[in-house]
Amino acid sequence: MPAAPVIAAVGCTKIASEHRDCNARDLLADALLDLLADAGMDGLDAVEHGLASYESDHFNMQMTLGAILHDTIGMTPKPGLRIEGGGATGALALRTAWAHIQSGLCDSILVYGVEKNGRGVSSRTANQLFALSADVDWETAIGGTYTGFYAAMMRAHMAQYGTREEHFAHVAARNRGNAAFNPIAQKPMDISIEDVLRSRPVAEPYKLLDCSLLSDGAACILLASEAWAREHVPAFEARPPIFFTGTGCGTDTMRLGDRYPHITNFRAKQQAAQAAYAMADIGDPLREIDVAELYDSYSGVEIQAVEDLGWVARGNGGAAVADGAFDLDGALPVNTSGGLLGRGAPVGATGILQAMEVAQQLWGLADQRRQVAGAKRGLTDTHAGIASISVVNIFERHD
Amino acid sequence: MSDKVSNLIDITERESAADDIWTDFRPIERITLELAQRYHYSLGKQSRFFIELQNRRFFATACGSCGRVCAPPRPLCPACLQPTNWRELTGEGRLETWSTLHFSPGTNADVAALQTPYVLAYVLLDGADTLFPHVLRAEGESLRRGMRVRVAYNEGPVSHPIHLMVFVLA
Ligand SMILES: [Zn+2]
Repeated sequence: MPAAPVIAAVGCTKIASEHRDCNARDLLADALLDLLADAGMDGLDAVEHGLASYESDHFNMQMTLGAILHDTIGMTPKPGLRIEGGGATGALALRTAWAHIQSGLCDSILVYGVEKNGRGVSSRTANQLFALSADVDWETAIGGTYTGFYAAMMRAHMAQYGTREEHFAHVAARNRGNAAFNPIAQKPMDISIEDVLRSRPVAEPYKLLDCSLLSDGAACILLASEAWAREHVPAFEARPPIFFTGTGCGTDTMRLGDRYPHITNFRAKQQAAQAAYAMADIGDPLREIDVAELYDSYSGVEIQAVEDLGWVARGNGGAAVADGAFDLDGALPVNTSGGLLGRGAPVGATGILQAMEVAQQLWGLADQRRQVAGAKRGLTDTHAGIASISVVNIFERHD
Repeated sequence: MSDKVSNLIDITERESAADDIWTDFRPIERITLELAQRYHYSLGKQSRFFIELQNRRFFATACGSCGRVCAPPRPLCPACLQPTNWRELTGEGRLETWSTLHFSPGTNADVAALQTPYVLAYVLLDGADTLFPHVLRAEGESLRRGMRVRVAYNEGPVSHPIHLMVFVLA
């Protein structure tokens, strides 16, 4: 297999509950200009391929938005495509871009993710639209919601392993605290575990502060062969190269009930992680990974993730999290960006933002209050639905 | 679809930073668009499940090859890739997990009519190998894993036939 692609440059907008002065194409324009500044490039002439990453046609009231985005940033007539995989969209887009370069189809590909989920529709309409991403015949029709599916999983985890509300409240408080050190974050908060526990119930055992946000935002990453990046990206030489060394994907049944008796954890994530570790030659992930962005759509999901990624034994995630193992000063800091809970979650851009945070960490360019000293290898964990699709990507700095 | 201008959004409160490159593109206008659709939606080969609810009978599917019993039904066994057979269950089972929902997504008229909070329950029906999700009419605080529950039927009218049933404590 050819050498792994590199992250040549990154860019994004601030993540917000609403960018009232931007539609999806405006958000992309701002993220792209940020990327060009990061790259030290004055245009995209040399870039060979585009890849659009967005989840919802409904929220934009626009199908084929991928073609519009490609057009907006002057990528025509170069090849382009759109990737959609629910919450995993951005990570799946990067994985697809990885394959484009590894296959030799191109040496450079711009992955651009955008979502306008903020306030374009009422919260009632937003709930209805998101409910359409569950199984419409059996889950949406009964009044099920993703918050409810996740909550039922967490209740099973609590019953099976003794995981407590305080454990996942730790995640909710810590990630929002980390967001205070990230200038693009949507919702930094200085809150205590008690504050989380006292917030109003949404879908028990999850409370308001256990839930992530609806967001507007865009992010892009220029992925390239190392030789292409050296030739075309002026900023590339100034930073240690970051290689995209591993990618894994797993899937599971759409409905939680069809996974019985495996309803406490994410099998798709276990499979994605094992595939990514094998590709990146990682034998002991807890020791060999220095920083990670985990998919904290709900606070407890981070607890399930540290188990499914093989970092702690099944059932020990809650105690390990509450112990601070994954805090900024812990053994393996996670969600240094603030995660979905604190930085925000513009769906099609989320997986790209996660990789961008890992890149900033590996370059050593994160705000010093959240910078993980000497980070050499990072991981992103992103999934769709209740992990009907799961993607784990791994990035390494080579000095 | 209609598209009419309904409001102008004043963004003057958005301070223009010194490095704002978009000052020539103010103000911003926001309009209201509406999009409503009606679907003549086929329930496909799952249909008998819904039809039998009107007869107060609960059906799953069973695979003749691997024996797996699925509720909700699966016309095609995903393990064996062959058509399954309908199998009637008693409609009784045990509560495996649940969440008490404090907001309703209002996805159809039946859901919109649910009083919040309501319980989203996953039930292992006797004779089934999968959990069936539905509303359990009970107080969330009273619930324990393993409790016996059963299907209760109603005559409707309903907007979606899945609401011809609900779970209740047995
Ligand atoms: Zn079978």
